Amino acid sequence: MKRGLRFSFRNADLPPLSCEFGTRRRRVLDLPLIAWLTVIWLLLWSTLTWANVITGLVVAVAVCLAFPLPRVDLGLRLHFWGILRLACYLLHDMYTSGVKVTRQIFFGLPHRAAVIGVPLRCRSDLMLAATAVAVSNVPGGSIIEVRRATATLFLHVLDADRPEELEAARRQVWRMEELTVRAFGTPDEIARVAEPPPPPQLAAGRPAP
Amino acid sequence: MTVWLQVVDTAGAVLLFLGAAICLLGVIGMLRLPDVLSRSHAATKPQTLGIILVLAGVALRLRSGMDLATLALIAFFQMLTGPVASHLVARSAYRTGQVDHEDLLFDELDEQLTDEK
Repeated sequence: MKRGLRFSFRNADLPPLSCEFGTRRRRVLDLPLIAWLTVIWLLLWSTLTWANVITGLVVAVAVCLAFPLPRVDLGLRLHFWGILRLACYLLHDMYTSGVKVTRQIFFGLPHRAAVIGVPLRCRSDLMLAATAVAVSNVPGGSIIEVRRATATLFLHVLDADRPEELEAARRQVWRMEELTVRAFGTPDEIARVAEPPPPPQLAAGRPAP
Repeated sequence: MTVWLQVVDTAGAVLLFLGAAICLLGVIGMLRLPDVLSRSHAATKPQTLGIILVLAGVALRLRSGMDLATLALIAFFQMLTGPVASHLVARSAYRTGQVDHEDLLFDELDEQLTDEK
């Protein structure tokens, strides 16, 4: 096979929906990525004309060629109802989180903060990153460290001297993980988050001194 | 019809005001809270809610298809990039010793980092 252009439906080595060209220096073009970049370009111009579509495509292809991404298996699946549920929960939680942080700022002051580690059930990089982003937008804690090897998120929790707040922050992380995986995960990962979270002696922090 | 337009315009103005007020509360929180990590709570969560309310208010007043999509794009990137920025600030603050460990009730990250040394 020494042709200039190869498509993924003929060649299982390539990522889905992409094409590869060049014989010596191979470049892979990921078609969904190009489509997404073109959509962003159109939205930034705010007008749908052929000229914009064509220049958008040219720019997207140029960006993909100039900054090639490493070839990884993302393991990304899109579940429509899962995404809808995640979006609804995110909007609702962002509202409660904004209100809660505001209340803490004005009435909750002096409280002791703490850093807790919450082990996740999924190990894939994409799910870890997506869960971390989702957790940052909801009440509970803000992320200070993500440990990839053990899939653990480390959160800073504002009022840690109340045990029920700590427990709520942990449950919130596991709930966000389940929602995220049900929106984007592979069937294997969905089966994993359907199980209960890790046992409490592993997860629970030490009692307050 | 004009009644509805007025209702939508008013709702947009209310949302704009609410969003701006919530952003202001976040800034006051940044001034009131004691340390970097607590301040990053105040800097991210109310701000994201505030900017989404402002965008919703703008959307109610603009009311045209392409502009709505652009606003949705702004909200999407705000929700995606805000956490990354706050994580980087918190992480570098933690690792450069800007966090007072005496103030923390307990610290499970510190134990792991010490174990690895």
